[in-house]
Amino acid sequence: MPGYNLDRLNFLVVDDNKHMRALVKTILHALGSKNVVEAADGADAFKELRHFPADIIICDWNMSPLDGLDFVRLVRTGKDSPNPFAAIIMLTGHTEMHRVVEARDAGVHEFLAKPISAKALYSRVRAIIERPRPFIRTATYFGPDRRRRQTDYKGKERRKTTARTEMVPGATPADAGGGLTQAEIEALLNS
Amino acid sequence: MPADDHEIITPPNTLKNKVSFSTNGVDLDMLDKAEQIIASLQGNYLEWVVEDLNKLQAHYDRALAEPDNRQQAMADIFHVAHDVKGQGGSFGYHLMTAIGNQLCRFVENLPDCGPAELDVIKLHIDSMRLIIAQRLEGEGGVAGERMMAGLQAVIAKVSKK
Repeated sequence: MPGYNLDRLNFLVVDDNKHMRALVKTILHALGSKNVVEAADGADAFKELRHFPADIIICDWNMSPLDGLDFVRLVRTGKDSPNPFAAIIMLTGHTEMHRVVEARDAGVHEFLAKPISAKALYSRVRAIIERPRPFIRTATYFGPDRRRRQTDYKGKERRKTTARTEMVPGATPADAGGGLTQAEIEALLNS
Repeated sequence: MPADDHEIITPPNTLKNKVSFSTNGVDLDMLDKAEQIIASLQGNYLEWVVEDLNKLQAHYDRALAEPDNRQQAMADIFHVAHDVKGQGGSFGYHLMTAIGNQLCRFVENLPDCGPAELDVIKLHIDSMRLIIAQRLEGEGGVAGERMMAGLQAVIAKVSKK
């Protein structure tokens, strides 16, 4: 059966628990990844990003001194962020799911609830590969388009029509669409 | 930029250039093998979770010894229990995830920690030790159910005070 080759992707794994880092790295290696770098906290991870162009960052929420959300914000909006567009998967404990909107609003691409499995981690990596999203900048947000799926949205259009599109060479245009629904937020929680 | 204005930026899709689709790629077989590799790490998990349980015991002992200064010990208990919760299920020890989670929820909602609350914490730590000592994998069967029910009853009793 054919599938995606992960051997050329760069993964950065950020977690203050060494066993969790080892588990994620083991899974990534078992799935064919060759380039996996670890960091024990957000500050070290940010330093790694300077010379390791991570394609996908997998980071834990509960870390200190810089927690996962602060790290995500630094990657997205930090003045000297090496790659504000990096794909980010956030590892989270089940009870933090009610804060998923907070993480989404920091600019996370995908969530993965702990305890993790190889299949669950791969499903998030696959989602990032198969569904690249444009980035949105507003006065209060910079990150991937928070509307995850095309749905028959019948509610009020919350985005104003004064959109300016910045094209980066080699890119494809984004679709316009409706706003977020409760169903979409639940999809984030349950995917 | 006005608050209601937004800008759409389409970054170059570098992932698309780096990811090929072929017979060597990730398929169900590779995923199954990855799960088997994780399962083979169960022995390692059992060693490092004992270290976590020892840490929990040490934080508990500190809380017991310092009745006027328990906040940091509680935060440390939460931190270790959170790690136990996040890992157990990955290695087939779902009860460790369930009890770790329950301990987290109990500790984070404590306005203060008296002798009854400390007893609850000790019961959770002892239960997790028993699970590992008896290799109670999965949900732990009837023994696991009784253990969870017992812990929940104790929490309910302490919370009613």
